[in-house]
Amino acid sequence: MAVSSRRLQKELTEIKTAGTPCGITLLKADDFQTWFLSLEVLGESQYKGEVFALMFRFDPQYPISAPAVQFVVDDKYKAPLHPHVYSNGHICASILGGEWSPVLSVIAVCITLQSMLASCKEKKRPPDNDRYVAHAPDNPKKTRFVYHDDEV
Amino acid sequence: MCYICREEEHHDQPVEPPVAWVHPCNCTLVAHESCLLSWIQSSQQDASRAPNALKCPQCGTIYELESYNPRTLRFLNKLNSVVSMAGKVVTVAGVSCVIASFGFGVYIILTSYGAYAVQEFLGKDFDLVLTEDPSNWPWHAFINLPLVPVSLIISRTPLFEGFPLVPLFLAWTTSPPVQTTERLMTARWRRAMTSGADTPWGPLINWPPSPLMVTFLYPFVTKLYRRYFRRFQHWVMGTEPSTGTTVRRYVWALNDDRNLQVQVDVNALPAREEGQQQQGRPQGNEEQQEVDPNGEEQEAELPQDPAAVAERTIRVTSASLGRFVGGALLIPKISNWMGAILFRLSKYSPLLRRFLAIRPPRTGAPEVFGKWFDSQPWSQMSVARQLGVGVHMALSVVGGGTKTFAECDPVWWRNSVGLGIFVLAKDCVNLLHLYLTKREIETRRVKSRSFEGVDIKELDLLNPPQNPAALPLPTVA
Repeated sequence: MAVSSRRLQKELTEIKTAGTPCGITLLKADDFQTWFLSLEVLGESQYKGEVFALMFRFDPQYPISAPAVQFVVDDKYKAPLHPHVYSNGHICASILGGEWSPVLSVIAVCITLQSMLASCKEKKRPPDNDRYVAHAPDNPKKTRFVYHDDEV
Repeated sequence: MCYICREEEHHDQPVEPPVAWVHPCNCTLVAHESCLLSWIQSSQQDASRAPNALKCPQCGTIYELESYNPRTLRFLNKLNSVVSMAGKVVTVAGVSCVIASFGFGVYIILTSYGAYAVQEFLGKDFDLVLTEDPSNWPWHAFINLPLVPVSLIISRTPLFEGFPLVPLFLAWTTSPPVQTTERLMTARWRRAMTSGADTPWGPLINWPPSPLMVTFLYPFVTKLYRRYFRRFQHWVMGTEPSTGTTVRRYVWALNDDRNLQVQVDVNALPAREEGQQQQGRPQGNEEQQEVDPNGEEQEAELPQDPAAVAERTIRVTSASLGRFVGGALLIPKISNWMGAILFRLSKYSPLLRRFLAIRPPRTGAPEVFGKWFDSQPWSQMSVARQLGVGVHMALSVVGGGTKTFAECDPVWWRNSVGLGIFVLAKDCVNLLHLYLTKREIETRRVKSRSFEGVDIKELDLLNPPQNPAALPLPTVA
């Protein structure tokens, strides 16, 4: 098995035995290319009651290379209204780019995104949302994000 | 457990063949050496992750690597970074050179215009102040001259109603005339003829007043003029002067298409919008005070609009901007022409000649302060007398100007007077234009046509006559 498969197998086993943290559930993990998890922000927040879905895409160099993570946008799920989340589901987060390291995991990313949503003060789109979405690549890893805020 | 691949190895069950483990930092993270090396390698190749490549993600300790790193390699790396640093410096230097040369070119244009303007305004006689050769200019010329076109243009906007050339005149009226080699030589030859007791300043009260006095008085004169002219204007146009709270908006219409509204002089009154603009501009060309007829219309036709909210929308199209700037830059030439006209006229009228203080052109060598200063017996005078002489000197310079100014043909004075006359004439012409426009608007009627050729059945008539030509024209309401 490739490095990525071995590692993902371990992560999957851990999820299945130890369970997921509150607000996060595993929706689909049939192969080692694409996983779906659901995300909900608990407690008092701007996103109370809203359920989002995250799509993780792994390449053979995982965990050396970061996974491609975005919010699912279809009839059932919408992208959350957040200054770092574009309307096509792409996320501007440093841990998915420059700050990625193999010490993180799928669950760790979910927890970080959960806290990013929970700490949001104002629900709005990023300022360059329309321009970005018009020219965005399919895979968010292809985008050279510029991280404006430190609180991700 | 390796934090990268999450493989575990138990102490009592070693893996065959043995893999190297490494604990590279201060926290509890351990990893396989091969995993860690491939992580470092791949992040160093990625531009966004390269800065963090050698740091532990949890505790931030820097990893230490050992490798075959001969001096040659280190030297080559160093050489590479030095050269790229030099490259950066070259980029910065090149860009700043381009910008500096732009700025310098602009500066040269402004300065040469300033020199031209000063010569036009002060007259040819005054190459005491500026000579053709820039190397003879006093140091403050290089600061004042480029400011001349800028201040000319600004003085036309309502923001700076004063003519901000005060520093210009201040410096020049008190500085000694320019020393050219030619003048030094003629001065030397004529030294025997000039008496040493000549003071280098003019009499205390002199006509025309010294340039310094003129610059002090200028703002007052302009304010007074504007106030009284405005009253005159209101009387002619029949408007009430607004009680102070006017909101002026400059609408810059570029190419007549898009309107950018630039708010000047914010007076927080809610502005009435485009409706005002579309209220029919009477003439095709845009002028500064053009809105007065609009203002008239507003006040005449909408009496419910409070007169206190008298708004003026002034449209500055690109054509008008050119007029504005061009007019500002023409001021020296215009004043020169007016001065020449006045000079011609003065030949017929001695009173005018007295007023303009026309004198024959200066023949004597210009006096220099320094020489006179040194020739006085300072050491023998008491403190009080020294003070007295000093004060007298300063006041004379203020009142009468330096002797060079006092004895010269005051071209600048008649140029200023001429300019004033010109401004007055122009304002009167503008006012006439406005007045006629207002009359035109007030006397407008729409012509009616007869109904010949119109289908009778189209009209809603109660008793349709047989002949359309018999229909009376509606009377004007």
